[in-house]
Amino acid sequence: MSSGGRQPEVLERRIRIEPDGTVVALSGKIEFGQGIRTAFAQLVADELDVPIERVTVVLGDTAQVPFDVGTFGSRSVAQESPVLRRAAAFARTQLIARASETLRVPRERLSTADGFVCDGGMRVAYADLVRQRPLSGRIPDDVPARDPSERRYVGKPMPRLEARDIVTGRARYTADVRLPDMAYGVVVRPPVRGAAPRAVDDAAARAIAGVVAIVRHGDLVGVVAEREEQARAAADAFEVDWVVKRPAEGKRWTIPIREDAGVDEAIAGGATRLEASFSLPPITNAPIGPSAAVADVRADAATVYAGTQRPFGLREELATALGLDEQSVRVLPQLPSGTYGRNSSGDAPLEAAILSKYAGRPVHLQWTRAEEFAFAPTRPEAFLEVAAALDASGQIAAWRYDEHTNVHTGGGFDPRWGAEASGRNAEPHYRIPRARVVLHIEPTPLRTASFRSLAASENIFAIESFMDELAHASRQEPLAFRLRHIDDPRLRAVYELVAERSGWGHTRGERQGLGIAGTIYHGTYIAEVAEVEVDASGRVRLLAVWAAVDPGLTLNPDGVRNQIEGGIQQSASWTLFEELRRKDARIVTSGWETYPIATFRDAPGEIDVAVAGDASAASTGVGEPGAVPIAAAIANAVFVACGARIRELPLTPERVRRARDA
Amino acid sequence: MNFRLSVNGIERHVDVPRSTTLLSVLRNNLGLTGTRYGCGAGQCGACYVLADGRAVASCLTTVEQAASQAITTVEGLALGERLHPVQDAFIAEDAMQCGYCTSGMVMSAAALLERIPHPSEDDIRAALDMHLCRCGVYGRAIRAVKRAAEVGR
Repeated sequence: MSSGGRQPEVLERRIRIEPDGTVVALSGKIEFGQGIRTAFAQLVADELDVPIERVTVVLGDTAQVPFDVGTFGSRSVAQESPVLRRAAAFARTQLIARASETLRVPRERLSTADGFVCDGGMRVAYADLVRQRPLSGRIPDDVPARDPSERRYVGKPMPRLEARDIVTGRARYTADVRLPDMAYGVVVRPPVRGAAPRAVDDAAARAIAGVVAIVRHGDLVGVVAEREEQARAAADAFEVDWVVKRPAEGKRWTIPIREDAGVDEAIAGGATRLEASFSLPPITNAPIGPSAAVADVRADAATVYAGTQRPFGLREELATALGLDEQSVRVLPQLPSGTYGRNSSGDAPLEAAILSKYAGRPVHLQWTRAEEFAFAPTRPEAFLEVAAALDASGQIAAWRYDEHTNVHTGGGFDPRWGAEASGRNAEPHYRIPRARVVLHIEPTPLRTASFRSLAASENIFAIESFMDELAHASRQEPLAFRLRHIDDPRLRAVYELVAERSGWGHTRGERQGLGIAGTIYHGTYIAEVAEVEVDASGRVRLLAVWAAVDPGLTLNPDGVRNQIEGGIQQSASWTLFEELRRKDARIVTSGWETYPIATFRDAPGEIDVAVAGDASAASTGVGEPGAVPIAAAIANAVFVACGARIRELPLTPERVRRARDA
Repeated sequence: MNFRLSVNGIERHVDVPRSTTLLSVLRNNLGLTGTRYGCGAGQCGACYVLADGRAVASCLTTVEQAASQAITTVEGLALGERLHPVQDAFIAEDAMQCGYCTSGMVMSAAALLERIPHPSEDDIRAALDMHLCRCGVYGRAIRAVKRAAEVGR
């Protein structure tokens, strides 16, 4: 079983030096556009003292890398960078020790440069030191890091290693894998997920030219053909009688996150009392490239090319589905279209593997846009009830928060970490003497799973909107009101920095306004200011966004900025436009015309990201935090611009008009 | 049916049904996978190529239509190892995350600069508006196109 936790870290599973001097660094994490390949290469190049061009980072190949539970929660850099740093530093000390023997020079006299160990004019290449004996051994916990002054790459802006391949079309995504003798598969889809085939008439499908295999495996009905068009025509020719079952909706759970005594009494007795509820619709990850996989399944082994965030978890699922042992299954993660959490689910790889098993050939499976909307998991809707009271000095005396939502991760609800996922950031980041925060998991017919920041962006929309409401209700300045409830100096610093950069406090033009919001997400401190303009029709235009972020020690500042900008742009799209439409369990959204997302015309004129990492603090993630505060920042700005307090997303012109003109 | 195509300046022959899309021919017959599938309905821009210099959705172009035009894909934009200014600018501005939408954007941007060498920001937004990017690099892509235009100045 691979799920038994981490093995002790050994050098041979982390750093390998090839005969040509290439340094191979190995990690179970996955690159999907967040830039970790580059960040890891920077770290290893610095610590091992080699040019970055000579570092190859292998990510997620289950035949090569150490076990890893998965890439999510913006934790890759935080989890992996200390291990890779220690591994590279340990490799360097071993290389120096070996060179000391070879050159007969004491270690203290030796230094390293560009892949060589040097002693004045004498030098020996790393590759020559490992030719007879590869590097190996348990990585000690206490290998000293090199002095920061010796770093050439960490902390410097750096173009992504894949950039040239991406702009020339050479980058190979999962759907671009081509294997000898490869055929194309298509799955015959039911009208709604979870339906089971009662009777299948495949006569017309079999008659289509090029059909290689008709597949019936459990509830899966599919077809494999020489060409993709043939497979799709054959899939359309199936007559299937589906038994539509109402999908299991899951259980109800009530999970207390914080329970202080006397909350209701304190709210009842407060000088200022306020309550409000907020709601967010289901939205979906909607990758630009729909799910794809290529599988080559043989009698005794399988190789699967997939976009996945959990290569080892997928390997286990594939082994079970194919009746193979895990060691015979190799998962080779490919560069995927950005999926922002959706690739925690192994749908396409499992389907491709089953189709390949029946076809006896490698099979390429590409989901259509309509399949992606109809069958991919979604971010569940959320309904958030909040009440609070201020004391006579305008300080928060008590806070009550009920979060009603569904499971935010694949694989059902587990009370051990359900509050961490579905209740993420439900507890306010402010000093509040009495609070009760309760997570209510409610049933849903939708298939729900991970989406960037899970429930945090929903909770922060409610909390940071409500903080604004409290400030306005008690005639306090919204930023000052927040600051008087913050003790953590790093959080205070990002709010103050973003205020300074955005010109907070200066009045904007007519129908324009600024709104502020912030949070601490997995150790990363972030505050954002949105500037909006609301036209007569109620349409909200996002003019500019400022963000200040403190992710601790920063490896690649421009990589951080790109991630934060992306999080802001994507979350602004959720906020202003997105809602997945459904009829019970059936998703009726089928294309971009029914699921509009932000386009070039909607992009703000400026997204200014100030990276102010506390270099003495550990590195924390930046893939998700940018997405968390922006909904509230926009809603708060809309209130300033036109007096409409929007508590229901998306922030459509109709909602703005209704609230403004009420 | 047999079709003779001009792709990236090279004559190519394919034998496929006449309704086959150019996208499918590029990806599945000619091995040019840099042109991406996104929606098959001309709504996302991931599959854009140049047809006689105009940016078009290859998923809505049939092989028959393509046969009468000079097709350029993202693989054919650079001159050997010398990148097109738009490609250089996208790297310089780090105007990509997952990169899936980049091929299409780069093609439309190249077509725009042929048509309008010094576009305004509104020109750029309008020309690229059919290209959806889920990672949110719109701002950087706009900067990249401006940078590429500056280089050509």
